[in-house]
Amino acid sequence: MAMNALLIDLPRCMGCRGCQVACKHEYKRAAEKTEFFAGPGYQNPRDLSKDTWCLVTYNEVLVNGRFEWVFGKRQCMHCQVPGCISACPVQALEKLPTGPVVYHKDKCIGCRYCMLACPFVVPRFEFDSWNPYITKCTMCAHRQARGEIPACAKACPTGAITFGERDAMVREAQQRIANNPNGYVHHIYGLHEAGGTCVLHISSVPFEKLGYITKKVPTSPMVAHTEPAMKGIPFVMFGLAAILGLGYHLRTRLERQPADGAGDRQ
Amino acid sequence: MTNHWSDMAHADVVMICGSNAVENHPIASRWIERAKANGAVVLSCDPRYTRTTAFADHYCKMRSGTDIAFVGGMINYALQNDRVNREYVRHYTNATFLVNPEYDFEAGLFAGYDAGKRAYDASKWAYELDEQGVPVRDMTMEHPRCVFQLLKKHFARYDMDTVCSITGAPREDYEKICDVFTSTWAPDRVATWLYAMGTTQHTHGTQNIRTYAILQLLLGNIGMAGGGVNALRGESNVQGSTDMALLFHILPGYLKVPAPPLQTLAAYLEKNTPKSNDPSSGNWWQNTPKYMVSLLKAWWGDHATKENDFCYNYLPKPSGDRSFISLFEAIYAGTIKGLLCFGQNPAVGGPNSNKEREALARLDWLVCVDLFETDTATFWKRPGVDPSKIQTEVFLLPAAASMEKQGSVVNSGRWAQWRYAAAKPPGDARSDAWIVTRLVQELKALYEAGGAFPEPIRHLTWDYHVDDHGEPDIQYVAAEISGYYMEGEQKGRQVLNFTKLADDGSTCSGCWIFCGSYADYADGKGPELNDGPHITEVRGRKTINRLAKRFKEDPAKVPEGRCRGLDPDWAWCWPLNRRIIYNRASVDHQGQPWSPHRWVIRWNPALADGKGAWEGDVPDGGWPPLNNPDGTPNPASRNPFLMRPEGVACLFATALTDGPFPEHYEPLESPVANLLSPQQFNPVIKVWEPDLIGDPREFPIVATTYRVCEHWQAGAMTRNASWLVELMPDVFVELSADLAQRKGIHTGDWVRVSTKRGTMRARALVTRRFEPFFVAGKLVDQIGIPWHWGYAGLATGDSANVLTPHVGDANTMIPEYKAFLCRVEKEEVV
Repeated sequence: MAMNALLIDLPRCMGCRGCQVACKHEYKRAAEKTEFFAGPGYQNPRDLSKDTWCLVTYNEVLVNGRFEWVFGKRQCMHCQVPGCISACPVQALEKLPTGPVVYHKDKCIGCRYCMLACPFVVPRFEFDSWNPYITKCTMCAHRQARGEIPACAKACPTGAITFGERDAMVREAQQRIANNPNGYVHHIYGLHEAGGTCVLHISSVPFEKLGYITKKVPTSPMVAHTEPAMKGIPFVMFGLAAILGLGYHLRTRLERQPADGAGDRQ
Repeated sequence: MTNHWSDMAHADVVMICGSNAVENHPIASRWIERAKANGAVVLSCDPRYTRTTAFADHYCKMRSGTDIAFVGGMINYALQNDRVNREYVRHYTNATFLVNPEYDFEAGLFAGYDAGKRAYDASKWAYELDEQGVPVRDMTMEHPRCVFQLLKKHFARYDMDTVCSITGAPREDYEKICDVFTSTWAPDRVATWLYAMGTTQHTHGTQNIRTYAILQLLLGNIGMAGGGVNALRGESNVQGSTDMALLFHILPGYLKVPAPPLQTLAAYLEKNTPKSNDPSSGNWWQNTPKYMVSLLKAWWGDHATKENDFCYNYLPKPSGDRSFISLFEAIYAGTIKGLLCFGQNPAVGGPNSNKEREALARLDWLVCVDLFETDTATFWKRPGVDPSKIQTEVFLLPAAASMEKQGSVVNSGRWAQWRYAAAKPPGDARSDAWIVTRLVQELKALYEAGGAFPEPIRHLTWDYHVDDHGEPDIQYVAAEISGYYMEGEQKGRQVLNFTKLADDGSTCSGCWIFCGSYADYADGKGPELNDGPHITEVRGRKTINRLAKRFKEDPAKVPEGRCRGLDPDWAWCWPLNRRIIYNRASVDHQGQPWSPHRWVIRWNPALADGKGAWEGDVPDGGWPPLNNPDGTPNPASRNPFLMRPEGVACLFATALTDGPFPEHYEPLESPVANLLSPQQFNPVIKVWEPDLIGDPREFPIVATTYRVCEHWQAGAMTRNASWLVELMPDVFVELSADLAQRKGIHTGDWVRVSTKRGTMRARALVTRRFEPFFVAGKLVDQIGIPWHWGYAGLATGDSANVLTPHVGDANTMIPEYKAFLCRVEKEEVV
């Protein structure tokens, strides 16, 4: 089964938020109570949340002295080697061979390690629920299983969101940049970020100007960073036990010294 | 639209001016995106940087209400730099026509102005005629009284400096726009112009559109694939409602409403049937009698006979203006006592809406037919009023939404497309057709018992196969709109198309431009004969509902070079399924296309057994090309603009009330004096409330209103949808950082916006997308407010229309929502 990906072509996005509403509609997530605007421009709500898995951002930026209004999209990046999975102690998260990182709520113990492990700060927790779960974009795995494309891609009127095999999407992104080298920064966000993701972004302005997380995201998988640490745990455990044991031994040995021994020194 | 949505993909230059197409018609952006992928340049000209601008290659800002100066300067640029498709202009426009010596233009006024009546005598603008009554032409276009020279003279005053000074457009940006757009004067380059209410909602709105038409004609862009002047309609079926005459001044199919002096059908037809003595003019409106009689037959059936003037005397003959503003003035004055309000929300959408809300309280009764309890339906319990003081009896009838009933929708590109009910309406909600049928049945019963002038109601045809639940079969309505034979051998058969309609009462057609949209199965051809839901049975005959056709054109069968997207078997397009109107202007005198790699039609001499025939789109007039193959004129041919008596398009037009050429005037409320003439605002508009015009010293800031992607019209549908309310919960005003700094306003602050009519509260959004303008050497600020909010629904807020003036365009009476004066203050927190 081929690995699929979403290609987000930001210069084609005109900020209509059809994707954002289509996502809520597909998953029947509640509208958030908002007031005025919660972020720059027309942005609402403030951030991804338990009910908002797809969020369009509005960015007024200066590019070479020229004012531009450009839009960004936030959602789960569906890493190829997901940090959230490596952090999950009970396999509640799973990477499907077709691309989506999906969540099995029946397995989740609510530890929220996945939230800490995600370099893109995506998974959210239903803090206000008596029986809370983790929520996030599923890349519409259920729709893909029916042979349909994700709801956001379906709703997009301009073709700013396209869906297909990851290899083809990468080639398409490279092609679009090559065809219009002045219209794009020469970078595919998600090609190498966090070891490669199944959501790829191309943009006309540098990604950091759109609020994308660029500096803290390594180019190798998060697992490459968590794994050595996790692998170290047994050694650390045993090492600590040994050190503490030694300490205990020494301490108790001192305590075991008879008083007369002290007298010896006197 | 002259063209259609998917045709935008063919353009070399896409001009978006007077519309926010990408934001308010998001699907349009799909086709604009295709044009861009083919190398097209997208231009955005607007008072503010919009989501459309974000999509465009070049942007030029302009102050609200200065469109004629802006485009007039582009016309001047084209003329001064000889960027004119001369062959096209010479033969397909009235550039060569001589105007009589009485025509004049001085100090902002055309000849024939009567200051007392605030009106023109248009006879002063007439063509010079020869002995046969045919307009005299100078094919060299050098005669000082020919239209081309008059046009040049008129627009010579719109030089670069003057235009930039009036509009506040930065010169460098403006020059770029002029250069890119007029580059399409070359026969093989095409530009399209997309506009909407940003153009029309001005006291000179019609003349704004005229400037586009003039420029597009000079460049030879009308009739071409990827060209045209394209009105993007603000609602999915506005085109259909206009075609079906949901306006006061027309009958279905753009027939004229009878005026009181026209007491007989003969007098009406004499007055409203244009005549032409020019043998090269098709003058299609000469068929007016056939269309009018067929319409009367559709309405009154067998009661309409030649002897009784086909019931012409049943038609109301209103005197004067019955437009939206004047209706509300009449309600306010107590002349109109009752109001049926179907899917309309004037308490939010009407200009000076405080006055319109007060007017509603003077009605005896009000019926609102809507999906939700709208602001209009709840006017009597709105904030700040005492319901016990309001005597109006208000009825709210729940209506079915468009997805809950079957019927047609006509899009901006004139495609009539059939929809099926996707869901059952909730509760007691009913279709409009059910509600109207119920009303008609009741009125008929009442008038059977007597009453004043009962015949128009008693005799009204209403044979729409109403079922046991009271629901009429909407297929029958569609079949009647198209029309059928009422007598003779073919009685009951659908009429083939409007060329077969008759003025003797043998045919009926509810709207002649739709004639042929509903066909007898026996007259079908091609894929429409295949089985499908478009095959229907009406009045016992097997029929084809062409609006319901869904067959896409096979790309492999499109002839080489022809434009894509004509799809003749996808829905149906008026007139005659012609997808691009004026397409006869897309070919030269031999019938060969100006742009061979995206031709619309072309003359193929090999067809029809060597007699030759058109191929491609349905030609706009089936006559052969203007010239024979040997280059001599073909007397059997007709000029390409067949709806005009002249046969050609009008650079100089005598039909409008406010002048044959567009002329820049300031909006009714403007911060500056008119730099071009002493005539400050349009000299023929009716000023309803002269004491409610703001003084620029008191109200120095230009304001405009608009819509956003997230909300729909007066908001009833979207302000009740929680997902959309989440995106845009509160009314806001957008203003520049410069103005905000001077006023001490920050994003999120509550501000008060006031005009001479009213005051509203809104949250401030300070943005670089708004900038002040340099106009006539001084700084002019502009703000903008979306107008969707009201006091009903989930998301409430003040309506921007409490600010807007009761004044309309000189021709159409559309209110001037787009340019007025205001004051902005930060609301102090107590």
